[in-house]
Amino acid sequence: MGNCLKGSSAEDISLLRGSENGAETSDRLGPLPPPYREALPIFYPSPNVSRPVSQLTEEEQVKIAKRMGLIQHLPTGSYDGCKKNRECVICMMEFLIGDNVRYLPCMHIYHVKCVDDWLMRSFTCPSCMEPVDAALLTCYDSNN
Amino acid sequence: MAALPRRIIKETQRLLQEPVPGISAIPDESNARYFHVIVTGPEDSPFEGGSFKLELFLPEDYPMSAPKVRFITKIYHPNIDRLGRICLDILKDKWSPALQIRTVLLSIQALLSAPNPDDPLANDVAELWKVNESEAIKNAKEWTRKYAVEN
Repeated sequence: MGNCLKGSSAEDISLLRGSENGAETSDRLGPLPPPYREALPIFYPSPNVSRPVSQLTEEEQVKIAKRMGLIQHLPTGSYDGCKKNRECVICMMEFLIGDNVRYLPCMHIYHVKCVDDWLMRSFTCPSCMEPVDAALLTCYDSNN
Repeated sequence: MAALPRRIIKETQRLLQEPVPGISAIPDESNARYFHVIVTGPEDSPFEGGSFKLELFLPEDYPMSAPKVRFITKIYHPNIDRLGRICLDILKDKWSPALQIRTVLLSIQALLSAPNPDDPLANDVAELWKVNESEAIKNAKEWTRKYAVEN
């Protein structure tokens, strides 16, 4: 269990209330999202922290760059119809033959697009919660 | 508003077609990301006999981030504060996109069966739960009767 006292402020409540008023707000402001959202990608230097690229500290930029590099080392392939993994649990769509999939060291597979988005936030397998970097190091060790 | 992701449509259909015993989750008519939830108090818990209303909202980046869930019905529980906010690891740092609305609500139901006063959100409730459990359980039953049972 996390430290809930520290993490909990009024944010959960205001988000819920915000959601109810969301439709009204967008009506007033017009249908387009604020333009900065399209111009600058949002990054997640640590879980639950999101910031546009211009507001990242140098340390966070390094961490994100390393993470991107590590993700690129995880093997990808196209789905071959393997019966063991039928559905991507992130988008809940069935894999179609030829879909671009990424294999995690624990052998769980996901659509590249789905899992990369998650790995940028948390370097763990969504299904077994196995930390991906620890597992990566273990594979490198066993290969050497 | 952006189109609803297919995952949300699929989860909603499954929730309506194969509901979880003791849990109902109905999407709001005007906002498909907002669910009206009712969880019945588990048997052999101080919340037995109660129907607890909750609200659940799927944020824009769901399932990359966890649903926001809050009790609307007042409840006497060490991990739920007086605003209805819930202290549950999977709603915070243990969230994974492999979890679903269904699993979140099952975990909340399980939290009612197994209060954890060592990881409190409502400090006064947790304190009493630790020093005088039978008194705390009595309060929880009384609150259930008072706020969660339709007359």
